[in-house]
Amino acid sequence: MTTNKNDKFNAKTVSEEGKNVVYLSGELDLSVAPDFRLVMEPLVGDSDADLTINLKELKYIDSTGIGILLSILKARHSMNASFSVEEVPPQIQKLFDMTGIAKFFEPQENSQ
Amino acid sequence: MKADQTVTLNLPATADYVDIVRLNLYGIASKMGFSYEDIEDMKVAVSEACNNSVLYAYGQEGGLVEVIFGVNGEELTITVKDEGVSFALPQDTSDATTLHDKELHDVEIGGLGFYLMQALMDEVSVSSESGKGTQVILTKRLTRSEEKV
Repeated sequence: MTTNKNDKFNAKTVSEEGKNVVYLSGELDLSVAPDFRLVMEPLVGDSDADLTINLKELKYIDSTGIGILLSILKARHSMNASFSVEEVPPQIQKLFDMTGIAKFFEPQENSQ
Repeated sequence: MKADQTVTLNLPATADYVDIVRLNLYGIASKMGFSYEDIEDMKVAVSEACNNSVLYAYGQEGGLVEVIFGVNGEELTITVKDEGVSFALPQDTSDATTLHDKELHDVEIGGLGFYLMQALMDEVSVSSESGKGTQVILTKRLTRSEEKV
């Protein structure tokens, strides 16, 4: 259900040679968690390419979304493949810091 | 807003309606004068309480979640109630864990929702009665020094 166009979750993938970047926008919560998992699954399995999620336009994330990021971290780590987040909005960074997931992300120069 | 008014929502216990709770919370909390940051904190906490009802309270059967916003001049109390099977509470909710002391291979995903509720609200109380569902009460006090929405 869409209540507000700006809040509707969307994930757009840009693939270049050796690198996949997923741009998230809207609200990532329980209701769209299956969609997000579906988008990420093939990208997480592509161990030859670097994987980055750009959060600049993400308005909201809940513990379900953080849980998915955590499972991606685990999967990529076990494959010895890279995974990072970039342009994390302050409100979302706060949740990453509070829950402790922040320490598992590789440092990014362009994070806010 | 006058003291001791309530706004009640009755919603299907499905994930599709949790954003409706956030929208109502935004409207009420901004009317009361909460700061942007406090409202964002409450959005996360309330959604986690609703998620618990959606995920654990009713299994496959469609049930209802009742959300009561209690407006009392200086504080906002949000009660999230369901009548489903109680979800598994941590033995002591102060045990709700974070990932801070853990290595990646030790990490388990459950429990973050409870931790966030506690960390983001001033008070959290959870009561659960077998066969009668679960009630989560979240309280945030208004601090007047911060920037208003």
